[in-house]
Amino acid sequence: MSGTDNLVTTDDATDVVVADEAVKRRLGWGFWLCIGWIVLMIILAFLAPYLSIKDPNANFIDMSGKGRPPYGPSMDHWFGTDKDARDIFSRTLYGARISLTVGFVAIAFGLLVGGTLGILAGYFRGWFDRIISFVFVILLSFPSLVLAIMLTSLIERSLLTISLVLGVLSIAPVGRLARASTLQYADREFVTAARQIGATNRRIILRELLPNVVIPMGALALLGMAVAIVAEGGLAFLGLSVEKGITWGSLIQLGSEGSTTLQKSPWIAFFPIFVLFFTVLALNFAGDRLRTYLDVKESAL
Amino acid sequence: MRFWLQRVAMAVLLLLSVSALTFGAMNILGDPLFNILGPVAGDVNNPDSVKLIEKAKAEFDLDEPLVVRYGLWLSDFVRGDMGVQFSSDGQPPVSDLIKERLPRTATLVLLAQLMAISIAIPWALVTASRAGRLSDRISTMNTFFLVAMPNFALAIILKFVLSIKLGWMPLTYVANDPLSSRLWQMVLPALTIALPVAAVFQRLLRTDLITTLQQDFILMARAKGLSRRRVLFRHALRPSLFSFITVVGLNTGALIGGSIVVETIFRIPGIGSSLVESVLREDFPVVLAIVMIVAVAFVLINLLVDILYSIIDPRVRR
Repeated sequence: MSGTDNLVTTDDATDVVVADEAVKRRLGWGFWLCIGWIVLMIILAFLAPYLSIKDPNANFIDMSGKGRPPYGPSMDHWFGTDKDARDIFSRTLYGARISLTVGFVAIAFGLLVGGTLGILAGYFRGWFDRIISFVFVILLSFPSLVLAIMLTSLIERSLLTISLVLGVLSIAPVGRLARASTLQYADREFVTAARQIGATNRRIILRELLPNVVIPMGALALLGMAVAIVAEGGLAFLGLSVEKGITWGSLIQLGSEGSTTLQKSPWIAFFPIFVLFFTVLALNFAGDRLRTYLDVKESAL
Repeated sequence: MRFWLQRVAMAVLLLLSVSALTFGAMNILGDPLFNILGPVAGDVNNPDSVKLIEKAKAEFDLDEPLVVRYGLWLSDFVRGDMGVQFSSDGQPPVSDLIKERLPRTATLVLLAQLMAISIAIPWALVTASRAGRLSDRISTMNTFFLVAMPNFALAIILKFVLSIKLGWMPLTYVANDPLSSRLWQMVLPALTIALPVAAVFQRLLRTDLITTLQQDFILMARAKGLSRRRVLFRHALRPSLFSFITVVGLNTGALIGGSIVVETIFRIPGIGSSLVESVLREDFPVVLAIVMIVAVAFVLINLLVDILYSIIDPRVRR
């Protein structure tokens, strides 16, 4: 760190802010690239049973002298096979079905419940606000994975219940944002005006507050979906997710169990990891860009 | 003084709610008798089974109302007795199990936190002082990658590269090894937890540092002729640490969550892997004890953060 000595000056720092301003006004190609990847994953997951890909549960034992499975990636099996000779490429696509569904349902539930509670708490204030805020504090006082593990221990682990458990986890962060943004708008002139001309609470919330609160929530939804997908992966990795069915987490777990699987056949774990990683990265990046674009304050999160 | 009393009262209330909710949920949604005895619990026509059921009910006070049982559990818990494990023969008692396993997890989390902080601060200082340049942009990209990487995936990648391919790091944890080699075995697991957390910390501290570096007193310090490094460390760092400390505290939850997964992958017998095992066995006393320990740790850390706050910025106390 020698040479140019002009770094800690006001000029330089303002330049940075200007640069940030310029980025803010455009979503940029990176955003659309990420959205493209997400849409592609959704389409592939949705169409998986109709595409001419291999049956994810069939065993493709090779009789031509390749020996015992797992087989490495080849033209026949793009991502290789696992030790039961099942095709990893099609298993990854099928895994997307559960992983993406869980992510989507979880954040939808979180937005619905957390958003509603947050808006009501921020609008009505008083004892209702206190109770709701305390509940949020309780929910946030657990590491989310611990809470998820605890809840999954109490239920049958099906696609719906796992989604709802992860949805419960997103209630508190979503609700806090909704409450914070409602507080921001609840005393503004247009709300007072609506109340003066005799609008009911219901109408004020739905027509005046909701459209303003929905904007920051949109950006949070993408980030929340990423969090839910990772959380489901973590649960599946620990063997605590959807009992029947393939998810990215369980595929990765299968590729890393035992002492030699990872060493001898790294592709089993690594291809699902790449797909999971790019999906989460895309959701994070798109959500972050959207948040900057919509100018949501970090502190409100 | 009143400020602290309020904070402590809030913390106690929080812990009581957490324990009551957890205890209630486990006893209402779960079936303790079945979890203790297994299929025998439903076999009410067989006199032998009935005898076992009676014995279990007496031992675990299952005939008492829920509130009474919660009271009994609570009074035992605050005295350090966390009850008897449901499964197998109830040995060892939950407290002993926790006593054996908690130090490992605590070491892991502490090591990870230290790593995260000692990676994040220099990283933030370097990038903030060169904000907007190529090196800063590359580092921002890297934080995105690290944050998007689920910890179980990162664990597998690090294990594959550093342990299997390069052979620099030990593969698993061996509980009987001497202390120094056990610490060495914990480095890779701790690093796995620390890297994404360090990225989060760095992002935050970098933003705050950039804001601080625009202040007049920094310009003043530079004008006095102090070296850039000295201004960065002595003048800019401390006022920028404010939200950093909050996030370090809040993020301990993420660290504990991360340790569950990492303990499982690297076979460290800590409370995280114990939690997973006991959930799979539906061993509620163990689950409850671990959940409570995590909650207590979390609450204590946040109290500590408040205290640190008042040291950095005495105006908070008022």
